[in-house]
Amino acid sequence: MIAALPRLHAVTDDRVAAAPDLVAKATAMAAVAGQDLAVHLRSRALTGQAFVHTARALAAALHPYGSWLVINDRADVARAVAAQGVVTGRGGLVPADVRRVAPAAVVGRSVHDAAETRAAADADFLVAGAVFPTTSHPGATPAGLDVVRTAAATGHPVIAIGGLTAARTPEVLEAGAHGIAAIRALWDPVDVAAAVAGFLDALPTVDLVDVEINGEPRHARRGITLAELLGDLSLDARAVVVEHNRHIVRRDTLGTVRIADGDRIELVHFVGGG
Amino acid sequence: MTTTVAPAFTDTPLEIGGRVFRSRLMVGTGKYKDNATMVRAHEASGAEVVTVAVRRVNLDRTKEDGILYHLDPSRVFLLANTAGCYTAEDAMRYARLAREAGFNEFVKLEVIGDQQTLLPDTTGLLEATRQLAKEGFKVMAYTNEDLITALRLQDAGAVAVMPLASPIGSGMGLVNPYHIRVIKSRLSVPVIVDAGVGTASDACLTMEQGVDGILMNTALAEAKDPVAMAHAMRLATEAGRAAFLAGRMPRREIAVPSSPTTGMLA
Repeated sequence: MIAALPRLHAVTDDRVAAAPDLVAKATAMAAVAGQDLAVHLRSRALTGQAFVHTARALAAALHPYGSWLVINDRADVARAVAAQGVVTGRGGLVPADVRRVAPAAVVGRSVHDAAETRAAADADFLVAGAVFPTTSHPGATPAGLDVVRTAAATGHPVIAIGGLTAARTPEVLEAGAHGIAAIRALWDPVDVAAAVAGFLDALPTVDLVDVEINGEPRHARRGITLAELLGDLSLDARAVVVEHNRHIVRRDTLGTVRIADGDRIELVHFVGGG
Repeated sequence: MTTTVAPAFTDTPLEIGGRVFRSRLMVGTGKYKDNATMVRAHEASGAEVVTVAVRRVNLDRTKEDGILYHLDPSRVFLLANTAGCYTAEDAMRYARLAREAGFNEFVKLEVIGDQQTLLPDTTGLLEATRQLAKEGFKVMAYTNEDLITALRLQDAGAVAVMPLASPIGSGMGLVNPYHIRVIKSRLSVPVIVDAGVGTASDACLTMEQGVDGILMNTALAEAKDPVAMAHAMRLATEAGRAAFLAGRMPRREIAVPSSPTTGMLA
C-alpha cells in the first residue's frame, strides 16, 4: 500500500489554505502529476466547518487524477472526506490514535531530529526536515541532509521538506528520500503546472498501466498483484471477490496473480437485497 | 411462579439441501432506511436465513458500504441471490462470485424475464439450475406459481423451489393459493414462497397452504415500522404453520349452531 506513496507533496500553510485559488491550483497540479502528487491540507487558522469544506473540495478535485489528499493533524476530517493520508507531528495524535479515528488512512509523522525519528517507528512514512533554510521558518538552523539519512535508515519512506527546489531534489534522493515536499516552490508560481513538471523531472515517477476496474478506466502500478491492487484501493480482501479477465480469483491466490496492461477487473461484494 | 407449558403442537424441522434451519421465515436486506433498523427487524423476525445481493464495490466510497459490515455471518445464514440477472449466463456468473465469498454453497437463483413484472425467465432458470447443480451449488430457484416449471426445477437438481405469492415488491399477497397448494402437494423438495406478501395475514394465509417456508423483504423494509412488522410476520408465519398442521374444519355453506339447540325456555 505504502509503495504507492506519491513522490511530490504540495503542502499548504495558513496563507495558501485560505487563498481563493487553492482548489484551482491543486487541480492544475493534479492534472500534471496524477498519482505522483499528494496535497497536504495544513491550517491552524481554519475552523472545523471551514476545514471540512476545504478538505472535501480538495478531495473531489484530486480524486479524478488519482492524486492523494493528506490532512495534517485532523484525523477526524480525514475520515470524513476519505482522505488517503494523515500527517501529525510533535504534540499531535500518535499514529495508533490516528488509525483508531481514520483506519483507512496512511499515517505520516513529521520528524525534525533523531529522537523524533526513533519515536515515530509506528508511522507508515516520515516527513523529515527542515533540510535547507526556509522562509517558512526564517532564522531557524536547518537540520541538513542528516535528518533525511537518519529517517531513511529506519526503512520508512521519507519525504524531505524545507527549502526544497527541483535543483536540490537529487541530493535529498541521494540521501535516501522517497520524495519531496514543498510549500512556496509549488504554490507561489503563477504557473503551478510548470513548477510541478519541474519537480517531476527530478523525481522517479510511478510506472503505471491502464486497466478497467468495475467498468471504469483506471491507472494501476505496473506489475503489482491483485492483493496489492486491493491495498492501493483501500479495500479489505476478506470482504471483496475479484474477477480478473472473467476468471474468478480464489482469495488465497490474490497475492500471486499479477495485473497487466488492459486487464479487466471486477471487484464485487455483498449488498442489501431480497 | 413459573409454569411449564407443553408445546401445543410438534413440527418437523425445516431441512433444505441437507441443512436444518431453525426458522421458516426468511428475510431480505434490501431497501431498509438504515442498517440499524434492518438489524433490529431481523432480530424481531427470528429469521435465520438472510438474503444478500452481489454488486460492484463502489470505488469512490469508504469501505463500510458492504452489507457484511452490518450482518454477523456467525449469527445468520447468508443466502446470496442473483437478482438483476436477465440471462442464465449472468446468473451463473453472479452465483460463482457469491460462492467465492466463502460462506456456503447455497444460491437463491433468479433469472428475470421482464423488467415490469420481474417474472422469471423459466427457460434460463432451468438451464442455470441444471448447470449450477452440477457444479455443486445448492440451488433455491425463484419461479412463478407454475407446477410444470416447479417439477422441472426439481428434476434439474434444485434443493428448494421458490414460487412467488405475487410479483416482487408488489405487496399484493397470495394471489393464487390453489397453484401454491398444488405445487406443494407434488414436490418432494421444500417449497418456500418468495415475494409478494404485504402484511401478516398474507404470510399466515401462505403458510396455511402447507408450504415449508416464506421469504420476504419489502413487506418489512417498507413497513412504517419495520421492527414491529417483523414481529407480526414472525407470529403470522408461526400461526399459519400451526393452523396448517392443526388441520382446518370443513367449509360449509350453511350455519351450524355452536350452542345446544335443546333446553331452550318454553
